[in-house]
Amino acid sequence: MAQKQQIYETTFIVNASLDDAQIDAVIEKVKEVITKHNGEIMELVKWGRKRFAFPIKKKNNGFYVVCEFKSPGDLVARLERHFILEENIIRFLIIALDKKSLQARISGNDLLKQVTSTTSSTSGSPLITSQSDDLDPIAPLSQNEF
Amino acid sequence: MSPIQKSFSERGTTRGQHSSMHQRGGYQRNVGPNGQRATARQQQQRKKRSCRFCDTKDVYIDYKNEKRLQRFISEQGKIIPRRITGTCARHQRQLVIAIKRARHLGLLAFVNDAVS
Repeated sequence: MAQKQQIYETTFIVNASLDDAQIDAVIEKVKEVITKHNGEIMELVKWGRKRFAFPIKKKNNGFYVVCEFKSPGDLVARLERHFILEENIIRFLIIALDKKSLQARISGNDLLKQVTSTTSSTSGSPLITSQSDDLDPIAPLSQNEF
Repeated sequence: MSPIQKSFSERGTTRGQHSSMHQRGGYQRNVGPNGQRATARQQQQRKKRSCRFCDTKDVYIDYKNEKRLQRFISEQGKIIPRRITGTCARHQRQLVIAIKRARHLGLLAFVNDAVS
């Protein structure tokens, strides 16, 4: 049963009013769903708390998490269902990455650099839980700031 | 003149106007609403614009780069047409998708209030 694998990227927003531990628990659950259904997490980066451009579900802040994973297509529906059922996830987006986007996308690590460069030294602890710096097939191009 | 005849003649005139517009070319480039030519300076500016994404040879526009996307929405939050930004058709298509994804995630606004 060699199913066709594809690389997906999901961004989801966790309720920012939770504690860090609770947020971690929510993320763990998502990771569990992915790995349980033959998915392989390539990169998971906590983007951190961000202010929304407009209130979503009467909230002004959210904790953004970006995750890249490789999986067969049927995982997407399952993951979507999980996101919908999980009350502490405010919004989510799952997209498939094609070759071009894999080359040129902003990986989570780049995002983190942006965040750390703008708000220097919020915390000493590294937020990255990336398991695959070497697994990453193509090094993401650095984006020019305009 | 009977009313029917009158309406016919009116129609005739409007038709005539339309055809004359077509002869003028409708939306002709470099011609203003009153038929005036664009100034030399305006023409220069128009030549200058080029697709920002082609310039940097981008093949993918990322929805996560909200700062960059912000250049392509108006103060009200509308997507700026490519005739103004100079983005090429291919990149505008990608850009629109990226902006909409960013909006869904609350990175960009759907509507911004008018500046008071």
